This record gives sequence, structure tokens and C-alpha cells, in this order.
Amino acid sequence: MIKFFLMVNKQGQTRLSKYYEHVDINKRTLLETEVIKSCLSRSNEQCSFIEYKDFKLIYRQYAALFIVVGVNDTENEMAIYEFIHNFVEVLDEYFSRVSELDVSFFNTVFHGTWQAHSSPYQVLVLALEDDPTSV
Amino acid sequence: MSDIVEKTLTALPGLFLQNQPGGGPAAAKASFSSRLGSLVRGITALTSKHEEEKLIQQELSSLKATVSAPATTLKMMKECMVRLIYCEMLGYDASFGYIHAIKLAQQGNLLEKRVGYLAVSLFLHESHELLLLLVNTVVKDLQSTNLVEVCMALTVVSQIFPREMIPAVLPLIEDKLQHSKEIIRRKAVLALYKFHLIAPNQVQHIHIKFRKALCDRDVGVMAASLHIYLRMIKENSSGYKDLTGSFVTILKQVVGGKLPVDFNYHILLQVLQKYILLLYLTMILTISAIFIFLSLAILFECVHTVYSIYPKSELLEKAAKCIGKFVLSPKINLKYLGLKALTYVIQQDPTLALQHQMTIIECLDHPDPIIKRETLELLYRITNAQNVTVIVQKMLEYLHQSKEEYVIVNLVGKIADVLVLNTVDTYAPDNAWFIQTMNAVFSVGGDVMHPDIPNNFLRLLAEGFDDETEDQQLRLYAVQSYLTLLDMENVFYPQRFLQVMSWVLGEYSYLLDKETPAEVIAKLYKLLMNDSVSSETKTWLIAAVTKLTPQAHSSDTVERLIHEFTISLDTCMRQHAFELKHLHENVELMKSLLPVDRSCEDLAVDASLSFLDGFVAEGLSQGAAPYKPHHQRQEEKLSQEKGNFSWICVKLESYFITQVLSLVPISFPDPHPALTLHPLKGPSICCFPLCVHVFSSCSSHFYVRACNIWFSVPALIC
Repeated sequence: MIKFFLMVNKQGQTRLSKYYEHVDINKRTLLETEVIKSCLSRSNEQCSFIEYKDFKLIYRQYAALFIVVGVNDTENEMAIYEFIHNFVEVLDEYFSRVSELDVSFFNTVFHGTWQAHSSPYQVLVLALEDDPTSV
Repeated sequence: MSDIVEKTLTALPGLFLQNQPGGGPAAAKASFSSRLGSLVRGITALTSKHEEEKLIQQELSSLKATVSAPATTLKMMKECMVRLIYCEMLGYDASFGYIHAIKLAQQGNLLEKRVGYLAVSLFLHESHELLLLLVNTVVKDLQSTNLVEVCMALTVVSQIFPREMIPAVLPLIEDKLQHSKEIIRRKAVLALYKFHLIAPNQVQHIHIKFRKALCDRDVGVMAASLHIYLRMIKENSSGYKDLTGSFVTILKQVVGGKLPVDFNYHILLQVLQKYILLLYLTMILTISAIFIFLSLAILFECVHTVYSIYPKSELLEKAAKCIGKFVLSPKINLKYLGLKALTYVIQQDPTLALQHQMTIIECLDHPDPIIKRETLELLYRITNAQNVTVIVQKMLEYLHQSKEEYVIVNLVGKIADVLVLNTVDTYAPDNAWFIQTMNAVFSVGGDVMHPDIPNNFLRLLAEGFDDETEDQQLRLYAVQSYLTLLDMENVFYPQRFLQVMSWVLGEYSYLLDKETPAEVIAKLYKLLMNDSVSSETKTWLIAAVTKLTPQAHSSDTVERLIHEFTISLDTCMRQHAFELKHLHENVELMKSLLPVDRSCEDLAVDASLSFLDGFVAEGLSQGAAPYKPHHQRQEEKLSQEKGNFSWICVKLESYFITQVLSLVPISFPDPHPALTLHPLKGPSICCFPLCVHVFSSCSSHFYVRACNIWFSVPALIC
């Protein structure tokens, strides 16, 4: 079960966060800083699956942005790893070379992408219903 | 699906043209619409947390004003909502906006409703009070003819809907299962899945509809229904055996390329893992075909499946080869997966571990701590009497290096498991190593470990193994090692460790021949006087001293201890000290009360206190009044005056028939003569437990009384 999905940059600024279990607001920032600290301390040769407290973090780095997903034990880590890449590919298709700031500006779109992650076509339909340029 | 995409793509340029900022009214809109942009730019430009906080607070206060102003249009509200979402994401509370989010979802047109629903799903959670307000909106939207509204409502339902409101929407969602649009069917299935997670009994009657969803012609709907089946099969696998055929057909379709490759079907494999016995002919065909696929995650799941189902040798061979490839791969993620697969497999096929043992040993010393931990997990499962020393050694090394509490708790649990094995036995080869390792474990993990671990360890020592001399050896070794540890200066041990040490020393010091009990008592006394020891540990220590006192014939350490603790502020310690003092006066009694090495014998407790019957009869015959139960005493007390101090004095006296057990003397430096204990002085006799209770509350209350606070005392006794 996925517990949370974060996009955090190297300076520790959260660009997008989605929690699937209720976590208090003040605890969220703490969680995010700790998570990004453990991700930053890893080098390239180390594996992308970290054990943090009683769940696992699976992260992928794209330039200066870290996408981190927190899961519990029942998930297949490789599947989540590939899912993160799938997600980024979809966004790439939509924005044509998505960048970090796009995440902040169009965060409603990103939430829409998340809700319909099973196929790129469905994502495009849902995202286009909500015109981001009017925001 | 593709025609919708085409239509929207052609409409897109039109949409963009509409929103070009132009003249007057459009300019206001444009300036408003770039608010989020300027906010984000502002935040990213700042470097310090303090400045960010200031900016956000400013923004939040202006937003608060805007959302509460009656003149705000829904469009502006939508914009504000987006900024509120952003602020909450950064960690600043924006709860004033929740109710407005709900209003926006209710009243807005399509785009505004979208943002409203999104805000609601991000701000609120299942047990939030404001969710009640949302139910009507959701119901209305579920019945609307606009597809997008139905979709949004279904999404919100599957995200945050609370259990109590499920009956309100359940029939509507069931209807949606037959909708012509596949996206709605899919969302309906997901919503029902969520219901199944939080309230399974409410969706039991629609299992038939789930089966229809499984056979749906659209891939998305089928995928969604698989989630439900995974859950239901985990709970009860035999009930769904007939579905194996359909699952296998789905797998075949995937293999045959009829279904799109990016379809997340590892869930399907997980579903199949739950079956142990099934038609393996079809299984073989499909799984061997899947092995040629490139997706590594799926490969991993296949391997896991192969080992869970009825074993078939060719499949096992293929799986073993696969694991081999994973483990030997230079890519570290794959190595991790390989180790994890080995962990699953190891109990069924230990030869596989032998094949790869060089790699496993290399991984033990790998620079990446996660790989190391995974290897330790693997080794933990193959621990047996031969390799236990090496494995525990490696675990201890890792334990000493790590700082995180979770890691320590986990590892300590594992080592204790291996060594103490549910109090029955231990893999440990010899006593010295066992005690030393347990010492290391206790000193590192003492305060964070599960309380069962020291309890099991002590029980293991107490019950021992079958060989009596072996047991004595073990206990002797333990006692000697603890004495050495206690001798070391300036070392602080965790409290649980001290408690374990004190118990063992108390029980088994009699086995020592070189040191006398007096010396042990001296060491324990030194610990007792140490400030860093908690009061719980001190009670353990004084219990140990009490056990040792009958063996040490005369000891001024004990005298000093008694003197020190009879005036202690801690009531528990005081009670122990007084018990010790009185027992100390009668060494024979003490020896019979605290026999050596009898910790495993059961104590027979006489709950009716029949040994006091003679005493009570004597008292009654000499004119004492019989026992009045508590409520009777209360009534009498209430009917009397409360201001009579001297009367209270007498009443107090009458309750002090605590001489039944001569353990509880009160020799306080108290000028009032009536407050000494004397049996039969008062008009009534109380029961023994009450008296002891009175004593223990008394010791603090005499102290209270010494400060001339009278009223608290009778209130506590009555």
C-alpha cells in the first residue's frame, strides 16, 4: 500500500505531496525533511530502496528533483520504481519536457495525473478537462 | 478512447486563445491569475525559513480576508483555493479555507468544482467533521448527467469517504457499474474497493457484480477489479478457486500481446501466489512464456509465484537461474531484488543459497547499508546451530554501527530470537558465548527492546535446560560476568540491563564461592546510591538485596541501606525498606521466606486470609465490634460532623489495626501519643488488606500530617 508520494528538490523544498494516510500537518514537514535527508545521503552506486522507520522509501532522481514514494512491506519495490518512471513519462508527454517549476505552477494537473495513472490516454483526457492556464 | 483525445486536442488551441489577457476586465483577471505564479516565484527566491514563514503568513492572512469576503466570485475563490493548497503543502495550516472548499465543490461550475473537490480531498481526511457537509453534494453529482461531474464525485468517494456515509451512496455506485462509459465503471469499481477496505460487510452482497467487472471488455475495469480480488483472496483463498481459469486466461492474453504492455499486471501474479494447488499445466505454459519478458518487476513476481505454487521442477530450475542472474548483476537494485527473492526461497530450497554463498558473503561487507541489512535478513533465516556464532557476530557489528531506533529494535529482536528461542532452547554453543552475547545485546538495545526479551532470558536462566550442572554453570558464569561489569567505573548501563543483572545476582549469588554475599550486597548498594538509576530499577535492586540478606550473616551495608531508605521520599522504596528492616530482625523467618533457588515454584495464595481467623475471633471475644463494610462506614461518616478534629484522631486510631503483620511499624517522630499503633485500641477491626493499604498511603500521609494538613488523611482512608 502506498503511504505517500512526494516530489522534493535538492534544497528540501516540497514541490508536490500526496498522502494516502492521514498525517498531521506539522508532522508532514518533519517527515519530508527526514526523507529528503536520507535520499540525499545516498550515492549513485547505492540502491534506490531505503528502509525508513517501519516502511520503505523508493526514490528516483531526475536532475534536481527527487520523487519519493513511501510504501509498506507488501509492495513490490521494483514495480513502484518502474511506476515512478511511468508517471514521469506521462508528464513529459503532456508538458513536453516537464521541469520542476511546472510542478509548482500546475499542481492541480499533477494531482489529476495521479488519480488516473493507469494509462496515458486517460490521463490526457482528465488533465485537459481542467485547463491549467486559467489558474 | 482515441477519438476523445482527438477532439480535445483540436479544441485546445481555442481554449488557449480564450484566455489571452486583453483589456480592462481581462487584465484584472490576469493579475489575479498570476497570483500563484508570483507566490511560487517569491518562495523560490527566498533562502531562509524565517522569511518564507513571513511571506506565507502574509499570504494566508490576505487569503483569509478574501475567502470570507462576500464579494468574492467563485472564480476568485478557485484561485484562492489553489494557493491554499500550495500553502498547506508547505506545512502551514489553512483550516479556515476548508469550509470554503466544500462550498466551492457544491456551487461552482465544472472547473471550479474540480478545484473544490481536489482541495477537499487534500485538506480533509476520513474522520473530519466537515465531511458531513459534502455528502449531499456527492450524491447530487453522482446523479448528474454530466460525465465529468460523476467522475469527480466517484474519485472523492474513493479517496476520503467515511464509513458511516457509505449506505447513502452505495446504490448509486452500484448503478454506475453498468454505465456505458468505461472510465465511470472503472471509478465505480475503485470506489467499491475502498468500501471493501474500510467496511467489508457492507459490500458483501455485490460480489457477483465484481465478477462481471473482472470479465469486462475494458482493460482498466478489469485491472481495478483485480485489486478487490487480491484483497478478498488474501482473506480466504479457497473460496475463489474457480476463478483460476479466468486469471490464467488473462495471463495468457498478456503473454500473447493482446493486452497493452504497460498494464500493471503484477497484481495478477500476486493474486496467483495465493493459490497453492492449482491446474499447473496451464500455469506452466503461461509462466514460462512470461520469463521472456523484459520487465524486471514482473520477473521478480514470477519467481515468487513459482515458489509458492505446487512445485514443478522445470519451473523451479528457471526460477533459480533467474535469481542467480539477479544476485550476480552489477546493478544494485537488481542485487537487492535477488537477495529478497532468496529470502523467500531459502526455506524451501537451501541449496540455492549454497550456490551463491560467495556473493552473499561479499554483500555482507557491501558499502551500502541497505544491502547489508537485506543480507542479514537472509542469514537470519538460515541460522542453525552451526553458523549461529558467525551470523550473530555480524549482526552485533551492524548493531553497534547503527543509530536509528527502528533498526536497533529490529536487530535486537532478531538476535534475541535466535539466542533465546521462546524460552525453550537456544542455538548457542556454549555458556560463555551466550552470556557475553546477551550482555552485548542488553547494553546496546536495553531501553528500546521489547520487554519480552529480558523476561524470556530470565525465564530461560530460571527454568534451565535438562542438565542441572549445565544450568548451574550457566548461572554461575552469568553472575561472575555481571559482577565484573559492575566493577567497571564510569559506565552507564540501560535500566533493563541493570534490572536483569540485579535479579540474577539476587537469585544466584549463592553459587559463588570466592565472593561472599556481603560483597555482592556492597556492589548493589553502590548502584542504589547512584542517581542515574531509575526508581523502578531501584526496587529491583532492593529486592535483590533482600534476597541476599539471609545469606550474609551480619552486614552493616544492610543497616546503612535500611537507614537510608526508611526515610526516602519514594513510598515504594520506603515500604521495601521497612519490610527488610523487620525481616532482618528475624533471620530464621527470612530464610524460610526467601529460600535459595526457588524462583520457579508456584506460590499458593490464601485469598480468604484464613490464617487470621484466630486473631479476629480473639478480638471479637474481647468486645471489638465486627467488621463494617465500606458503604456502611461512608454513611456513618456522612451523618456525623466533619469539624471535629480530635474525633477524627480517634477514628484514625481505630483503623490502625495493622499489627496483624508485624512488618509495618510506625515509629515516626510524632508528638501526638494517640497515633501509635496498638491492636484492639479502637472499637472496630478492619481487614488486613485495608490496613496494608492504609499503611502505604499512611507513610506519605503522616508526612502530610506533619505539615498540619489534616483533611487529606480521613478522605483517603474512608
